[in-house]
Amino acid sequence: MQGFQKVSCPVGFSWANLKAELRAIWDSNVKVWKIELAYPLSFLRQCVQPLVMLLPFLLYGLVLVGGRYSEALQGLLGTLNPVDVVTYIFTGYMVMGFIGTAIWGMGFSIRREQWFGTLESIYVTPTSRLSLVLGMALHSTMHQSISVTIEFLVIYAVFGLALNVQGILPALTIFALMMFALYGFGVLISALALFLKEGWIVAEGLYSILMILSPVAYPLAVLPNVARQASGVFPTGAALIGMRSFLMEGYPPQGVGTIFLHLLALDAAWILFGILVFYLVDRYIRRRGSLGKY
Amino acid sequence: MNWNLSQNLTSNSYIMWSELVKNMKFLMAYPAVFVFWTIFPIFWFIPFILQGQAFVGGLQSPEFAKLAGTPNFVPFVILGGILNSYVLTSLYGVGESIRREAYRGTLDYLLSSPCNKAFILIGKALSESISSTMYAITQLVVCILFFGIEITLGVIMPILLIIILLILGLYGIALMLAAISLRYKQAHDLAHTLENIFYVFSPVRYPVQSLPSWAQMVSTILPLTYALIAVRSLMLLKYNITAVYYEILVLFIIDVVAIFLGFYLFNWMEERTKKSGTISHY
Repeated sequence: MQGFQKVSCPVGFSWANLKAELRAIWDSNVKVWKIELAYPLSFLRQCVQPLVMLLPFLLYGLVLVGGRYSEALQGLLGTLNPVDVVTYIFTGYMVMGFIGTAIWGMGFSIRREQWFGTLESIYVTPTSRLSLVLGMALHSTMHQSISVTIEFLVIYAVFGLALNVQGILPALTIFALMMFALYGFGVLISALALFLKEGWIVAEGLYSILMILSPVAYPLAVLPNVARQASGVFPTGAALIGMRSFLMEGYPPQGVGTIFLHLLALDAAWILFGILVFYLVDRYIRRRGSLGKY
Repeated sequence: MNWNLSQNLTSNSYIMWSELVKNMKFLMAYPAVFVFWTIFPIFWFIPFILQGQAFVGGLQSPEFAKLAGTPNFVPFVILGGILNSYVLTSLYGVGESIRREAYRGTLDYLLSSPCNKAFILIGKALSESISSTMYAITQLVVCILFFGIEITLGVIMPILLIIILLILGLYGIALMLAAISLRYKQAHDLAHTLENIFYVFSPVRYPVQSLPSWAQMVSTILPLTYALIAVRSLMLLKYNITAVYYEILVLFIIDVVAIFLGFYLFNWMEERTKKSGTISHY
């Protein structure tokens, strides 16, 4: 052992280990920022992309109703006045961007390391693999927040938004609860990407399905009964209904307690399920020796 | 001289055929990719159908008819989605094909082969056209069965002509993209930007008239705009082909310009890249 220096790493449920993992998460986030900012034009395009994808929903909605307010939507939602379609779509699509965070940002964090040729090096470090995924989650959430800010500023300047300012704080609380469940979902996707390698089809498929099952641009009432039931499994449905009830003027008040409980249950379920699947897949691919395979 | 010409034609046809077969083999090796491109474009326009239903309380909108000419927004959106999938496959299929060859490590061999590289790209474009049309036909069949889209036999040939003209224009643009990726490597962001321009400025989800006038100007240089107007006029508004002569003529002009520019740019970039010795750079 001469010439080697023993390095002791904090392990288990200790404060030192928690600090080390938090630093790994932060460093992982900083690393992705550095890579991303090395390509400023690409970064700019990615920041503007959600706005570009939102515009067709808005313009299409405005053409359909021939103005800003929809009486049919009022009937479906039970609001006091006809619903402002711009505010309705904006609040929905804003959340949809964070689903992309979970699926693409977190889900492909490990796969991306494989493309860069750094996956094996990361695997032999004494850090938890989940820290890498959570680092990506932190980065993606920050990145998406920039995109949402751009979306908000442009839509506010061009179309105007009728948002209830007092409702921002409770809406943010609901949003945070939704994000925890989405992080669990993202961990699950990253496990799938590790296992399936070319998991983009699964990711894109899940994103498309979530887009249909979430009340982004329409209330769940227009979905068939089975789809409505299925949407309850994902946090976006409950979160959007809760957030809109705080953010939109005249939106019927919802059972806030029920929404919070629903989201808390989904948080626990998705986080536990995601971590469980991640560890199972992680162990399986290491035993098979297929970690480095494409 | 005649013998040389015929030999050239035969060898170039063989290059195109080989490229087509190679790409088809790739496609068949990944059946999940095939299923994805057949099914998921339908999932992308379903939210728009549900949104329409929620916003107007039915499947027809008189306000929509004022701009689109038809109150039926469902077939409007479906046709937009299907034709837009040609944009996606041309930009990512042909436009990024050169980049993919670089990833596979085969670009150097392709560019050093003693043939006109344009025919390799034509082969790639042909295979993309075939696969895109297979996806589009499957999507259309699904939409006829589940969304009540109607198509009469009489409009099939004019629609095929319009789609061929659309494909030619798109592949001209994709050639330019391939040329840029040859020289500047990371053309992925450019492909995304072009996709966004097509998506927002063409009447994929809404009529062009709903856009501000400066945006309508942008839409006039996009081949998808004319293809969508022509196909919808024939299929939804039941117009005669004589009513869409203008759109067909403009599509033809765009095709000629785009293909000429595409080939010119590609040959120029190929020369420059070879001279700079950066073919195998990433």
